[in-house]
Amino acid sequence: MKKITFLKKKLIGINTLGKCVLIAAGALLLGGCTKNFNAINTDPTGITDAQTQADFNNLGGYYPGIQQNIFGEEGDYQLCQNLNSDCYSGYYMSPDPFRGNINNQDYSLVDGWNSDVYNMGYVNVMGPVGHLANLRHARTASPHFWAIALILQVQAMSRVTDYYGPIPYSKVGAAATTPYDSQQQVYNQFFLQLDTAVTNLQAYIAANPNATPFAKFDMVYAGSYPEWLKYANSLRLRLAMHIVNADPATAKTQALKAINNTGGLITTNGDNAQLTGFGYHNPIWWIGTSWTDLSVGASLTSYLNGYNDPRISKMLSPATSPAGITGQYVGIRAGTPVGGKPMYNGYSSPNFSVISEYTPMILMNASEVWFLKAEAALRGWTTESAQTDYETGVNTSMSQWGVSAGGYLSDKTSTQADYVDPLTPQAGVANASIKAMSTITIAWDNAATNEQNLERIITQKWIANFPCGGWESWTDYRRTGYPRLFPVVVNNSGGTISTALQIRRIQYPASEYTSNASGVQGGVTLLGGPDNGGTPVWWDTNKGQAVPKNF
Amino acid sequence: MKKSLLLTLIMPCLALGAEARLKATNGDVNARYKENYTVKSIKAIETIKGTVKDSKGEPLAGVSVTIKGTTKGTQSDVNGNFTLQANVGDVLVFSYVGFTKTEVAITSTNPLSVVLADDSRQLTEVVVTALGVKRSEKSLVYANQVVGGNELNTVKTDNLMNSLNGKVAGMDVSPSTSGVGGSVKVILRGSKNALGSNQPLYVIDGVPITNSSNANGQPNSTYGGSPDGGDGISNLNPDDVESITVLEGAAASALYGYQAANGVILITTKKGKAGTPQINFSSSYTNDAISYKPKFQTEYGVTPGGNQSWGPKLSSPATADNLKDYFVNGNNVTNAFNFSSGNELAQTYFSYANTSANGVQPTNDLHRNNFTFREIGHFLNNKMTVDVNTNYINQKIQNTPGEGFYYNTLPGLYLFPVGVDILPYKNDYAVAQPARNGLPTQNWIANEDVQQNPWWILYKNPNYSTRNRALINASVKYDFADWFSLTARGNVDRVADITQQNLYAGTNPVLTPGLNGSFSRTDQTLTQTYGDLIANFKIPMKGAFKIDGLLGASITDNNTVGTNFSPGLGLAIPNVFTEQNVLTAITSNASTVSPGHNQVQSVFGSLNVSYHGWAYLTLTERNDWSSALAYTNNESYSYPSVGLSFIISDMVKLPQFITYAKVRGSYAEVATPVSTYITNPQNLSAAGGSFTFNIYEPNPILKPTDTKSDEAGVDLKLFDNRLSFNFTWYKSNSYNQFIQYTPAISSGYSTGYLNAGNIQNTGVELKLAYDVVKSNKFSWNTAINYSDNQNKVIQLQPGVPNEQIQLTGNGANAYESVLAVGGSYDDIYGVKFQRNSSGQILLNADGTPKTTDYEKVGNPNPKFQLGWENTFNYGKFTLNFLVDGKFGGQVLSMTQMLMDSYGVSVASGQARDNGGVTVNGVDPSGNAVTKVNAQTWYGTVGGRSGVAENYMFSATVVRLRTASIGYNFPVENSFVKNLRLSLIGSNLIYFYKKAPFDPEITMSTGIGLSGVDVFNQPTTRRLGASLNVTF
Repeated sequence: MKKITFLKKKLIGINTLGKCVLIAAGALLLGGCTKNFNAINTDPTGITDAQTQADFNNLGGYYPGIQQNIFGEEGDYQLCQNLNSDCYSGYYMSPDPFRGNINNQDYSLVDGWNSDVYNMGYVNVMGPVGHLANLRHARTASPHFWAIALILQVQAMSRVTDYYGPIPYSKVGAAATTPYDSQQQVYNQFFLQLDTAVTNLQAYIAANPNATPFAKFDMVYAGSYPEWLKYANSLRLRLAMHIVNADPATAKTQALKAINNTGGLITTNGDNAQLTGFGYHNPIWWIGTSWTDLSVGASLTSYLNGYNDPRISKMLSPATSPAGITGQYVGIRAGTPVGGKPMYNGYSSPNFSVISEYTPMILMNASEVWFLKAEAALRGWTTESAQTDYETGVNTSMSQWGVSAGGYLSDKTSTQADYVDPLTPQAGVANASIKAMSTITIAWDNAATNEQNLERIITQKWIANFPCGGWESWTDYRRTGYPRLFPVVVNNSGGTISTALQIRRIQYPASEYTSNASGVQGGVTLLGGPDNGGTPVWWDTNKGQAVPKNF
Repeated sequence: MKKSLLLTLIMPCLALGAEARLKATNGDVNARYKENYTVKSIKAIETIKGTVKDSKGEPLAGVSVTIKGTTKGTQSDVNGNFTLQANVGDVLVFSYVGFTKTEVAITSTNPLSVVLADDSRQLTEVVVTALGVKRSEKSLVYANQVVGGNELNTVKTDNLMNSLNGKVAGMDVSPSTSGVGGSVKVILRGSKNALGSNQPLYVIDGVPITNSSNANGQPNSTYGGSPDGGDGISNLNPDDVESITVLEGAAASALYGYQAANGVILITTKKGKAGTPQINFSSSYTNDAISYKPKFQTEYGVTPGGNQSWGPKLSSPATADNLKDYFVNGNNVTNAFNFSSGNELAQTYFSYANTSANGVQPTNDLHRNNFTFREIGHFLNNKMTVDVNTNYINQKIQNTPGEGFYYNTLPGLYLFPVGVDILPYKNDYAVAQPARNGLPTQNWIANEDVQQNPWWILYKNPNYSTRNRALINASVKYDFADWFSLTARGNVDRVADITQQNLYAGTNPVLTPGLNGSFSRTDQTLTQTYGDLIANFKIPMKGAFKIDGLLGASITDNNTVGTNFSPGLGLAIPNVFTEQNVLTAITSNASTVSPGHNQVQSVFGSLNVSYHGWAYLTLTERNDWSSALAYTNNESYSYPSVGLSFIISDMVKLPQFITYAKVRGSYAEVATPVSTYITNPQNLSAAGGSFTFNIYEPNPILKPTDTKSDEAGVDLKLFDNRLSFNFTWYKSNSYNQFIQYTPAISSGYSTGYLNAGNIQNTGVELKLAYDVVKSNKFSWNTAINYSDNQNKVIQLQPGVPNEQIQLTGNGANAYESVLAVGGSYDDIYGVKFQRNSSGQILLNADGTPKTTDYEKVGNPNPKFQLGWENTFNYGKFTLNFLVDGKFGGQVLSMTQMLMDSYGVSVASGQARDNGGVTVNGVDPSGNAVTKVNAQTWYGTVGGRSGVAENYMFSATVVRLRTASIGYNFPVENSFVKNLRLSLIGSNLIYFYKKAPFDPEITMSTGIGLSGVDVFNQPTTRRLGASLNVTF
C-alpha cells in the first residue's frame, strides 16, 4: 500500500498541471457551450414568477392549494384526520386491519401517519402563506387577500396545535431550527391574526361594497367577503371556547368579541364554510367507496339509535353483514381487532348516496355556531336563551340533512343505546359489546344542572358535526368529556395512554427530533409531560377525571 | 512531472505537425501499395490450405488470416479451415479476439495446422479498455475480466447479463422476478450511492448506451408497482456479442467519467471479416418450470364466514394442488442468423434474431426482433476507417407479472383457503352483475387490496409494454501517421416505450378509482446522444522509455420526454379504455413524464509510459461540466487516476515454473453529479387553476459525489501457463453522498438535498484457472472465481448521529431497507420480539408477543461468492458446467408471514396439531409460557406488519447454475460447414438453499427492496437444446 500512497502524493502535483491543461483544452474545444446549462437544468413543467403575474395569479394562485390542504385529498385526509381524530371522536372506525391491527385506532401511534399533520400544516398551508407575505408582500399589496390567508392559516393550524400542544408558530421559516411556542401563545396569535383579518375585510367591504376580487380563487364563498367575515368571527368563537377552562378570561373576551362584531356569525346553512370546486372531491366518499376503509364508530350508532334520530338514515347506511345485524345501524367499536376484510366490512358506513363524490367538505357549519352560542349563554356570558340557541342548533342541523325534527326536541326519555358486537368475543379477541355510558336525553331541561345541559349541548353539537368535524369533536371531547364515548377495546399504547381517560394528544413527528431537535425539546418542556398520547395539552384541564366536571 | 509537460506540448504540436506528416505518409503508403499489389502479383501464386484450432483441439471459426505486410487475407470457416492464395515464403498472420496473434511462415504448399493459444495464458494479448482503446494486457494497471461470446451464447437467457452470473469475480447479478424479459440488477464491487443508480455503465464498441427501463421504473415498496418492462441491456441480441470486458474498478473506467463510478461493462460486437462469406444460424429452445413451491398445510379448512384457513379440521386432508392449476411451463425460442462478408476495403455484417418466450405465469410472453447492420470501410489508402453500426430493436412484453401485493396473482393463489375448490374461481373469475345489466365483475373469496382472483388479474388487469429502439453508432478514424490518429465518434440511442395497464370494473377498489375501471398509459422517449473526438498518439522514441496516450473531448446529452396518462377518477362508461372516457380529476389525467434533460461535456486525457517493457505508468485526468450542477459553483470538476504495474518476470529472473508475474496498483477518483433539476427547484402548475409551491429546500452548494478508490493486485502464470492466478484487493470510499433529507418541517419545505457521508466498499477478487488435462484427445480445464465485498456506511450527515436513510419505507408493512451509520447497504429493518435478560419473549396477557420498533434484522448481501466452472473436451464432445455459491446474508420472506397469518402454511398446521406454537415466553406476571394458540400467535407474528425477526432466512445458496453438453457433427458437405448440437440447462440443482425462495432474485433492480420476498415469482429451472449451423 506504500506504493499507492507514494503515487497519490505524486499525483497531486501532476493533477494540478493536468487540470490546467484540460481546462485550457476544454475552453478551446467547448468555448461557451455550458451557457445553456441553466436552461437545460430547468424543469420545463415549472412555472415562473413572471408567468403568474397575469390576473393576480401571483397572489391568488396559492389559495386553491391552501384551501384543499386543510382537509387534503383522500390520502392526506385519511392520515391527518380519518385515522386519528375521526376515530378518537367516535365517528369512525376502519374495518381494515392496518399494520396487523396495531395502529392509531388502538393507541399504537404510527409516526408515519401522524407526521402528515405537520406536513400538511407547515408545508402546504404555512409555507405558501409565508411566501404570500415574504415574496408577494400580500400584507400591503392586497390586505383583503391577506385576510383570507390568515383565516385559512388559523383554521388549519388550530388543528395542528389541538392535536399536539406547543408547536412552532411565531418563528416559522425564520431559521434552520424553529423554536416552539406554548399553546397559549399560539392561541393568542390566532386571535391577533383574526383581528387583522376582520379589520382588513371590514375596511375593504366598506370601500368596495359588492366587489368579489377573490372569487376566482375561492373554494368556500365564491368571493363573498361578508361571508368570510362571518366565518372569521365564528372561528374566533370556536377557538375562544376551546380555552374556556385554561384561560377563562380570554375565552370570554374573545367569545364576546366574536358575537358582537358587526359582521355577524354563521347563522344559517347558507353561511356554512365548506370546500368545493376546483375538482376537489369528497375524501370521505373516496376512502369509503374506493378504498372500503371506512365504517362508522359504535359510539355514533349507539347515540343515533338510542335517540331514534331522524338524521340516521341520511347520515348512515345500514349494515350489510354479518347476518345478525343486516339492515341495522351498527358501527365498529374503537380499537376492535377487525381481522381482515370482509370481516367487519359490512358494518354501517356513511350513507354514500348522500355524502357523494362532490359533496362539499364542511369546515364550520351554522349548527356548531348555535351550539357555541348556547354554551356561551349557559356560562352566563350573554343574555341569550341557551335553550333557544340549543334548539336552533338542532333544527339547523336537521335542515342541513333535509329532515324534519318532528318530536325530537321534546323527547325526554331517549338515551344512548347499548352496543352489541355480534362478531365478538371470539378466540383471542375480547368482547367489544358494551353498555351505554350516558343517560343524557334530548329535550332541553331548565331544571337540569349546567353540567347536564352542557353534555346535552356538546352531544348534539357532536352529532351535528358529523361527517367532517372529527378534529373539532375530539377537541370538544377532551375539553368537556362529552359526549360519553366508548373506550378502545384493545389498548396498544404500552401503558402511556389510559383506556378510561382515552387519548389526549398525538406525539410529535420523529423527523422533528432529527431535523429540529432543540426546537422540539423546547416544545416537550412547554408541554409539561412526556411526548406521548397520554399527556394533555394546555387547554385540556379536564384530564384525569373519569366523570367530567366543567363547572 | 516530465510526462505532463509533454502532455501540454502535444496539443499544439499535433496541430502544426499533422499536415506536413500527412503528405509524407501518404507518399509512403502509395509506394507500399504499389509494391504489394503490383509488384508481387507478378509472382506465381500458390493455393495454401490449412486448419486453425485452439489449444484444446477445437476448430476456430472466423479467424482472420492475412499475409504479413499486405491487406490480403481470408478467414477460417467453422471447421477452422481456410484457403488463400499466397507464396511460399510469405508469412501468415492469424488473429482472433481471445487468442494470441500468431505468425506462421509458409514453407511448402502442404496444409498448415495452426494452433492459437488462448489469451488468458498469453501476455501480449490485446484487451479492449475504456473508450474502446486496445491495449496490451501487460500494460494494464488494473484488473479486468473478459468473457467470450461463445460462453454467453451456449446457454441463452432472456437477459444477456444473466449469462454472466457466477462467472465474473466481484460481480453480483440479481435477476428480477418480473417474468420473461425482466430487468437484472448488476452490482460491481458493492453499492456506492445512497441515491441514484448503482448499476454499471454499458458501453458498446467504445461508446456508452443507456440501460433505461421504461417510465414505470422499478417498484419502491412492498406493495409493488407498475410492471417492469425490462432494462436496456436485455434488448441486445447476444449473438451479436463477440466479447464482454468487465472493468470493475474506477482506475479502469475513470475515462468514462461520472457514468462509470459503478464500473463499466464493455461489449465488443461482431463485425464483418474479409474473406469467404459466411452465414451462421443458431436456434435454441428451452423449457422453463418453477424450481420450488411454497408448502401448504392440508388439514384445516376455511374460517367460518371468512377467507382464512383457521377453520375446523377437515374430515380428510385436502388434496388439491392449486399451483398446478395455475402455473404453466414456460419456454424460450430464439432463432438467429448472421451474415458476414467482406474484402480488404469493406466488411459487412448483418444479423437478425427473433426471440419468443413465454413465462411460467400464463399470458406472460415476450417477442423481440433484433436487426443489426454494420459496415466498415477503409478509405484514402487505408488511412481512414469508417465504421457504422445500426441496430433496431422491437420488443413487446405482455402481462409482466406483478411484484409485491398489488396486481400480483400469487397472494390470491397462495392464500386461498385450504379445502375449498379454487376451480370455480378459475373458470368463472368474472360474474355478471344483474344490477349493472350484466357487467362482469370479479368473483373472489376475499375483498382485500392485497389479494385478487389470480385469473382476474391475468385477464382483467392486463398490461403490456412495447419498445422500439434505434441504436446507431458511427466512427471515423484517420491515421495521420504511425504515431498519431484522430477518431470522431457519435452515437444516438433512442428508446421509445409505450406501456399500458387496463383495470376492468370489478378490480379491487383500492387499486382503481371509481367503480367503472381505469387505465394508465405512458408514452416515453429517451434519447441519448453522445459524441467524442479523440487524438491518439504514440510518441516515436528510441530507448527504454515509450510513451503513448490520448486527449479527447466528449459530450453526452440525455433527454426524456413523453406523456403519462393517469387514471384520473376512473372511467365514465365501464371498460372503455380510451382517453376520452376518463373522468377528470384535480390532478390532471395527462401529465408530462417526469422530464429529464441533462448534458455533460468533458475533456480528458490519458498518458502511458513504459520502461523497458516491464514497468508501466498510466495517468488519466478528466474534467466534466455537468448541467445538473448548473446554479451552483460546482458545474465544472475534475478527477484523476494513476496506476503502476511491474512485470516482475521480465524485471528479474524468477524460478522456472513462474512464466509470468505482474504486480499492479492504482488510485482513481470519479465524480458523480446530482440528479437533474435538483439545483433549481421551481413552482409547478397544477390542474384546476392553481400552482403548487415548491416543496424542495434550495441548496446552492450541491456538488458531485466523489468516489476514491485504491486497487492492488497480482497476476501469475505458472507451470508453462497451465495455471493462472489473479488476485485483486480494492477499497473505495464514496464521499459527499447525494442525500435526500427532511428539513425542519416548520421551514415550509418537505424535502431537501445535501452532500455528506461516506460509503466504503472493500474486498478481494481471486481467479484461478488450471488445465488439469491437456491432450489432443481429452482436455479438462477448471476455473474458480472468488470474491467478497464488505460494505460499510462510515458516515451520513455529520452531527446527525442516528440518521437513517430509508431506501425502502415500510409503508405499514414488515420490511424496511435502511442505510444507517455503522450498517451497510441494503440492511433489512423490521420489528423484533421484546425479550427479557434470559432471552424469553415478553408476551401480553392474550399470548401475543410484545415487539420492538423497527431495528436491523439482517443484510441480504453475500459475505462472499464462489464460482467453479469446468470444461471437458473429448473428441467431438464438449461438457461444461458451472457451480456457484453465494454465501452468507439473510433474507426476509413476507410470503411466509402472510401464509402463516392466513393459516395456510405447513407451520400453521403443525402448530395446531401440536396444540399451539412452541415459544419460550413469559407473560406479564412473569410466568413462563411455552405454548400460544396458533391463530393468536401468527395473527401478530405473521401478516403484513408482523415480526420480521421470525422470518429471516439464510441467503446462502449453492447451485448448479448451468450445464451443457455439445457434439460437433462431422459434416462432409460443401454447403453445411459445421453443425453443432448442445443440450443445455440452467438453474438445475440447488445443492444448498434454506430460504423458502431463491434468495438471489430481487423485487427491484433499483435502490431498495433487496432481500425480501413478497410473493415473488419463483425462479425457473430451464432445460433445452441449441443448434448452431454454419454455411
